[in-house]
Amino acid sequence: MPRLKVVPVETDVLIIGGGLAGCMAAIKAAESPDLRVTLVDKSNTKRSGCAASGIDHTWAYIPPVHEKMGYTIENMAEDHRQVISYGFFRKDLFHLVAGSNYERVLDLERWGINFRYEDSKAPGKFRIVPQFHSVPTSFNFDGGPLKPILTKEVENRGVAIINRVQMTDLVTADGRISGAVGVNVRTGDIHFFRAKAVVLSSGRSNRLSRNPTGFDFNTRMPSPMSGDGTSMAIRAGLPVINIEFLSNILGPAACGNYNPNYGDPRNTVQPAARIIDGQGNVIVPRTRFFDWENLGKEKWTEEVRRRWIEERKASRGVKRDLAKRLAQGEGPFYLDFSEATDQEIDYIEWSIRNEGKGNQFMRYFQEEEGADLRKNKQEYAGLWPREISGTAAKGLWVSKDLETEITNLFAAGDEVAGLPWQASSGAFTQGWHAGEVAAKRARKQKGFLPLSEEIMKARNEVCTEMLNRKVGFYWKEVEIGVQNLMDFYCGDVRSEAMLQRGMERLEDAKAAPMKAENPHELGRCLDVKSIIDNAELVLRSSLERRESRPIPFGFYRADFPEQDDENWLVFLAIRKEPDGVFSFSKIAVDR
Amino acid sequence: MAFNHISIDEELCNGCNECVEICMCDVFAPNPDKGKPPLVMYPEECWFGGCCMSHCAHSSTGALTITTPFQMRGGFKR
Repeated sequence: MPRLKVVPVETDVLIIGGGLAGCMAAIKAAESPDLRVTLVDKSNTKRSGCAASGIDHTWAYIPPVHEKMGYTIENMAEDHRQVISYGFFRKDLFHLVAGSNYERVLDLERWGINFRYEDSKAPGKFRIVPQFHSVPTSFNFDGGPLKPILTKEVENRGVAIINRVQMTDLVTADGRISGAVGVNVRTGDIHFFRAKAVVLSSGRSNRLSRNPTGFDFNTRMPSPMSGDGTSMAIRAGLPVINIEFLSNILGPAACGNYNPNYGDPRNTVQPAARIIDGQGNVIVPRTRFFDWENLGKEKWTEEVRRRWIEERKASRGVKRDLAKRLAQGEGPFYLDFSEATDQEIDYIEWSIRNEGKGNQFMRYFQEEEGADLRKNKQEYAGLWPREISGTAAKGLWVSKDLETEITNLFAAGDEVAGLPWQASSGAFTQGWHAGEVAAKRARKQKGFLPLSEEIMKARNEVCTEMLNRKVGFYWKEVEIGVQNLMDFYCGDVRSEAMLQRGMERLEDAKAAPMKAENPHELGRCLDVKSIIDNAELVLRSSLERRESRPIPFGFYRADFPEQDDENWLVFLAIRKEPDGVFSFSKIAVDR
Repeated sequence: MAFNHISIDEELCNGCNECVEICMCDVFAPNPDKGKPPLVMYPEECWFGGCCMSHCAHSSTGALTITTPFQMRGGFKR
């Protein structure tokens, strides 16, 4: 059988995944004019990754605001450790992210993203809203066009962008990175990269669960991200942490409909709606415009944190109880904006439109339905599709400089684990840092390392077979099979016997021969292979974590129903040893 | 009939293929007939982020439209 064409690519720094982290890494690495930098994306960097269709907030320690309040970065770290991470926390990553994201915000502003508003009364005319910490730390901004703008910056610096290449394998030489393999999902060509340093920034592991809308790609975060980085990393022998926390997180969203949590209280849209029940009783009161006029004037004290924790617990607790209340027949519940002023509605609509599917939601709501946020209450209840909880933040274990155990292989953004809800802040800052260190290393390394062709040839064979198979499963059959398996054997309630049965069933999925009729379908088959790898890690790690941990982790082992902080308030790392056996280790969290 | 929530108006589309270029889910394919509207090859792989609409130079005239599928509608009180 003739093999697929192989396209060799030589570069000093290779960046895998062109989302926010990958673009920032490329921009920073390309500051060295002597280096060749290549950015690869399975989609198109103009619209790829979590921020593909826009993003409207990012958190940071903001010196001009926070210093005046006497709120230190240490205070902020403690807020994050206690309340956002529930103890699953890496202090070094927090300092990198919180401490440098304000500088990245100023970079984004220089490149044309608007962060300042005439009507703002906050210092710097920013819109800074409360989200994750006891004082407001999240910028609201016009991030709808962020990805096209970042792509332009990447191009301006002479970076070679290769779109529509899905990366599948890392190649190493004696514990150092030497290259990588990918497949073009438009042409079917195999791309064989030789590089001195590599940044892995391929994002989240989605599509591990069925979607109740019947649109399997209608995931919360963009569906193309199928955990390819995690899959590549585990096959390269690297440790992955927190991946057992695939759960039904009670998002304040009804995923069965097209009504996410836009504008619910204590979220990033501020001011927000109130939550009411069918009789109009208020379950959670609404929030109003933050007191920006006095932002930065109030002094921060431990009392501010205490009040914030109490308020947050109360509103979160009530929001979480909604699932229980629904099960008891107390629904439906609604988001109600009827009390909002015109100015507040303007702000809310602006904020919704800037991020994720918000723009489409508003278009649907207003244009297709002729509905009005103030007049038409949005139904509000239920669960997100299952995903790895942001609170857990699964991914690679890296050094403080974001290097993996493979020398010169770095990770950034959602590929990195250990700092819950780092989201765009993690992507901006870690991308930048990984790009900087990777460039330094690439410059230091004189020549290229030997590049073994073994993995590339094996990948070529697998792809050639899938494209030439006369009889085989359509990729979606296998994907749905794996999703159903995960929902059934690794669902809200897990146990040893069910998880083990799930692993047996997964062996069938691994062995299922898939058939691709064209390069697009070949890409989807490769997605499914990544999904299977991720599913296996979730099953195995779930079996290893012998305790339960409530929402937001939503991890429940029927055979170990108690939370066990003494033994399990640790990062659980899984890795595949060279002999193919999986091993586990516990890594202490920072206190 | 299959899922058909994305529609392209033959009259209004200028065949620039920008949607083919940027769709992160690779839903579209260029029309083999050059200058003609792209083909909506894989509508069931749509994420509903609307990037195709925001990049379409003629979406304001209705060259490319998304009609929200029935099962995703109606999560609000009329």
